[in-house]
Amino acid sequence: MSSATFKGGAHPYEGKSLSEDSEIKVLDLPGEYVFSMSQHIGAPANPCVKVGDTVLAGQRIGEAQGFISADVISSVSGTVKKIEPRMQVGGQPQMSVVIESDGKYEKLSGTGKKRDLDSLSKDDIRKAVKDAGITGMGGAGFPTYVKLMPKNDEAIDYFIANGSECEPFLTSDYRLMLEEGEKLLGGLKICLKLFPNAKGIIAIEDNKPKAIEHMSKLCAGESNIEVRALKTKYPEGGERQLINAVTGRYINSSMLPADVGAIVDNVATLIAIYDAVVLNTPLMEKVITITGDAVKTPSNVKVRIGASYKDILLAVGGLKGEAKKLICGGPMMGQALFDLDVPVTKPSSALCAFLHDEVEENPTTPCIRCARCVSACPEFLVPPLMVKAATHGDLEGFEKLNGMECMECGTCSYVCPARRPLTQIFKQARKMVMNKRRVEAAEKRQRDELERIAAEAAEAARAAALEKLK
Amino acid sequence: MNNIEFVPEKPHVSSSPHLRTEVTTRRLMTDVCIAMLPALLWGVYHFGIYSLFVTAATVIACVLSEYAFEYFMGKPITIKDMSAVVTGMILALNMPPEIPVWIPMLGGVFAIIVVKQLYGGLGQNFMNPALAARCFLLISFAKPMTDFSVEAMPWATKVVDGVSGATPLAYLKAGGEVDLASLLIGNIPGTIGEVSVIALLIGAAYLVFRKVISLRIPLSYILTVLVFTALFSGRGLDPYYLLCEICAGGLIFGAFFMATDYVTGPLTPNGQIVYGIVMGILTGLFRLFGGSAEGVSYAIILGNVLCPLIEKYTVPTAFGKGKYQKNKNKSAESKLNRMVVVKTFVITLVSGVLLGGVYVLTKEPIEAANQAALYAAYEELVPRASEYKDMSENEALAEAVANTNALLSADGTYGDVTVNNLVTATDESGNVMGYIVDVTDHEAYDGDIEITVGYMPDESGELKNTGISFLTITETAGLGMKAQNPEFKDQFTGKPAMADNAPLSLTVTKSGNAGDTEINAISGATVTSKAVTNAVNAANTAVNAAVSSDMSATFTAASSEASEGGNE
Repeated sequence: MSSATFKGGAHPYEGKSLSEDSEIKVLDLPGEYVFSMSQHIGAPANPCVKVGDTVLAGQRIGEAQGFISADVISSVSGTVKKIEPRMQVGGQPQMSVVIESDGKYEKLSGTGKKRDLDSLSKDDIRKAVKDAGITGMGGAGFPTYVKLMPKNDEAIDYFIANGSECEPFLTSDYRLMLEEGEKLLGGLKICLKLFPNAKGIIAIEDNKPKAIEHMSKLCAGESNIEVRALKTKYPEGGERQLINAVTGRYINSSMLPADVGAIVDNVATLIAIYDAVVLNTPLMEKVITITGDAVKTPSNVKVRIGASYKDILLAVGGLKGEAKKLICGGPMMGQALFDLDVPVTKPSSALCAFLHDEVEENPTTPCIRCARCVSACPEFLVPPLMVKAATHGDLEGFEKLNGMECMECGTCSYVCPARRPLTQIFKQARKMVMNKRRVEAAEKRQRDELERIAAEAAEAARAAALEKLK
Repeated sequence: MNNIEFVPEKPHVSSSPHLRTEVTTRRLMTDVCIAMLPALLWGVYHFGIYSLFVTAATVIACVLSEYAFEYFMGKPITIKDMSAVVTGMILALNMPPEIPVWIPMLGGVFAIIVVKQLYGGLGQNFMNPALAARCFLLISFAKPMTDFSVEAMPWATKVVDGVSGATPLAYLKAGGEVDLASLLIGNIPGTIGEVSVIALLIGAAYLVFRKVISLRIPLSYILTVLVFTALFSGRGLDPYYLLCEICAGGLIFGAFFMATDYVTGPLTPNGQIVYGIVMGILTGLFRLFGGSAEGVSYAIILGNVLCPLIEKYTVPTAFGKGKYQKNKNKSAESKLNRMVVVKTFVITLVSGVLLGGVYVLTKEPIEAANQAALYAAYEELVPRASEYKDMSENEALAEAVANTNALLSADGTYGDVTVNNLVTATDESGNVMGYIVDVTDHEAYDGDIEITVGYMPDESGELKNTGISFLTITETAGLGMKAQNPEFKDQFTGKPAMADNAPLSLTVTKSGNAGDTEINAISGATVTSKAVTNAVNAANTAVNAAVSSDMSATFTAASSEASEGGNE
C-alpha cells in the first residue's frame, strides 16, 4: 500500500538517527521553574497565586481568561519566588510565575487517582481536559478542550492522532509511540467517546516503521481505530496537510478542522488527555528531544514544564563543540535562541544545537524564478509574487495572492536555490496585515459607537420634541 | 551561560527555517550546461572543431562582459553562478557552424550587457538574453546568420523542383520530404546545437532527471506545434511528416533548453502550460504562414513578453480555497481567473484558426492574382504573345538555365545572382516571339531584388532588351526604390543581349553620362543600381545560352513576324 500524502512539500535531511534509539529519560531538575502565563494561543492566563505562596505539583497557578485560553499548572512543589515578566523562547518577556522547587514534587491530593472511564460523561471528560491545562503539544499550542467542543459532535467522522513528526531531527513523538503507545491508544479512545461517528486514525510517516508496527499491533483488536502510514515529506504533519492526506478534504486558514468533520491532536496531547482523564494528572511533564551535531549525547528526555533549557542541556552532557546555532523546536519551524536560559513550555518539542548555521553559510542571491517554491508550497501559493507585493508594501496585493493562507512552514525558504528569506518576509507581511486588520476593526468599533451615541441623542431629542408638542 | 562547556557567547539568530537544500543556483546552471554537452559534442563532430571554437569564444565573451559590467558598476561579481556560461552556450549553439567568430561574441556582449545587466542582472531580464541576442544578430547580420552552406541534400527523400540550398524545415515547407533518421541523428544542416534530436533528448532527460526542468512547458509547446501543424499544414495527419516538423528547425532545442528558461517563463504551473501553448501556436503560425521557415526563436521571445500577463491570470487556487470546497460557492476571484485563462486561450486559438483559415481561403485567389500580375509583366515585356511557356516545359532550356546558374556562381563577376526562370513567348502557330528571364539578385541593399527582363529580336534579328519589370524590391524609399523610376529602368530598354559575340555585360557609372555598355547609377543608391544591372547581365547570359541551344532555328523563323508586332 502506498503511503498517503498531500501535494507539494520537500524532503529535508531527516537527521532522526541521532536520537531515535535513545529511550526517554526522566529528568527531575532542581532549582527555579518559570511558568509563562502565555504558553498557548489565545488570551494569557491570570496568575492566581501570590509571591511567597507554597504550591504543590499539579496546582493551578494561572487561570484561563476567556474562551480561547488555558490554565497554567505548576509542575513542581515549592515556593512562589516572583511574579514578573521573564524572557521566553521567542525573545520577548512574558508575565511568568517563578517557583523555587523544593525537590519533593509533592502532589495535590487526588492526583494520580485512577478514574473509571465508563462513569464519566462527555462533560466530565471535557472538564478534565480543560482543568489539566492541556494545549496542543505539536507546536502551535491551541487549547485542547476548545478543539474537543465542535458545534456538532455527530458531524465529526475522523479523529486523527498526529504521529507524523515531520520536523527533521525530532524523535520525541516517535519514542512516545514506542514507549507509551497504550496511553496514546487510551487517549484516542477517550476522544472517540466524545464523537460517536468518528473513526480513529493514527497517522505516522513511513520513516518510522517500528512505530507503525508497534501501534498496529496495539490497535489489532480495535475495529474503530486504524494506523495509517504517510509518505515521509515535510510538512506532512501540518494540520491542513494531514487532514488532506488522511481524508482527502481541504481546509483553509479561515476554517477549523471540525468544519470538514475532522479533529487532529498530536500523540503527546492524546497521552496528556489520558493522564488527565483517567489518571487525574494535569499536564506537568513534556518529552523533548535534545539533538543536533553539536550535542554530546543526543537524547529524548521527559522534563517538567518550566525547567530551563540550559539545565536540561547540562544534565544530558552539554555540547561537544561550538554551537553556531541553537534552536528551540525543529530546524524547519523552530525558533533560534540567543540565550539558553529560557523555560520549557507546553508546546516545546526539542532543543537542537548545530555546529554549522546553514542560513549564515548560504548568503542570499537574486531570485531566478525557478518556481521550485511554487511547486513545493503545500498551500499552493506563489511565493515570488507574494515577495514582490510584500516588499513593495502592497499588503492588499499580498492578501489577494492568498498570503494569509501561508502557515510559515518554511518549505519555500528551504527549497530556494537562491537562498531567499521567503518565509521571513511572509511572517512580517502577515503580521502587518493582521495589525492592519486590528486597527481597522478598532476604528470600525469606534465609528459604530459614535454613530450609536449620535442616534441615541437624536432619538432623545425627537422624543423630547414630541413631548413638548403634546 | 558561560558555565556550559562550548556554548558560544553569541549564537546566530535567524528566522526559521534553519535548513537549506543543497540545490543552488550555481548547481542548476551547471546542470543546464552539462545537459547541452551532448548537442555540442555532436555539433563539433558533425560540423568540425571550429564549432567548439565558436562556442568557447561566445562563452568567454559572455562571462567577460558580465565580469566587466559588474566590475565597472561596482556591483558584486556574480560570474561564479554560471548563468553567463549558460547564456553563452545557448547563444553559440544557435549559431550557424561557419559563422565568423566575432558575430556570436558581439551577440554575447549584447545578451549580457543590454538584455541582462541593464535590466538589473540575473533574474530581472524579461527576455531570454541568448535569444534576444540571436534575434539582434539575425537582424543585423542576416546573411551570415542564415548561411548554412547547404550544398548537397542527402536527407531529402523527395525532389522538389527549383529548391536547392534549403534547410530541412525550409525544404518541408517547400513541399519536400526529408529523412527522419537524419533528423534524429543530426545529419542535417542547421545551427551548431540544434541538429541532433537524439543528443538534445539525452540532455533533456538529464535535466528532467535532475529535476532542473518540468515537462510542462516543453510538452505543451511541442504538442501544440504538432496539433497546429496537423490542422493547417495541408498535409493532414501524416505521422511521418508531423514527426519531421517536430524534429526539424530547432524546436526540440528551443522547447527543452530555451522555453524552459526560468527567468523569462511563468512561475505558475497552469501558466507554464498556457505559455507552452501560446509559443506552440506562434511557432506554427510563423512556420506555416510566415515568410521564413523558422519560427522557434521569435515565438519564444514573444512568449517571454506575454509571460507576466499569463502569470497574472494563472495564480493557482490556494489550498482549501475556492474549488477545494465542493459544497461552497466558488470564490468569484478564482472564477474570474479561470475565465480569463479560458478567454486568453480561446482568443489565441481563434485568431490562430482565423489566420489559418484566411490563409487557406485566400491562398488560391492570391496565387491567381500573382499569376495575373506575372502575366501582365510578361505582356508588357513581350506583348501579344498567345502563350508564355515556363522553362519546365522545355528540358533544353531548363538545362541551359541550370548551366548558366552554375557558370554565374563559379564566375562570380555578377555577384550572388540566380536565374529563376526563362519563359518563352510564342504566337498562335507556336513560333518564338521572344524571351522573358526571371532573375533574383541577392546582393541588393536590403536582401533580394527579383526582376523580369524581356527580349525580342529587332528587324535585323538581333535580340534586344525590351525593358525590365520589378517583381520584388524592398529597398530604401527615396533612394533604392528609385530603381523603379523610368529614368533608371528605361536605360536598359533597347540594349542588345549580345555584344562582340558574348553576352552584353553592363557596368554602373556614377558619371551621369553613360556609354553604350554603361548604366547611370541612381544617386545615393549605387548598391541597388549594381544589383539591378548585375541581374540584367545574368539575364543576358541566360538568354544567350538559351538561344544558342536548340531553339535558335525556330527563333529565326519567327523573328520577322515578331518584329512587326514590336514596331506597331
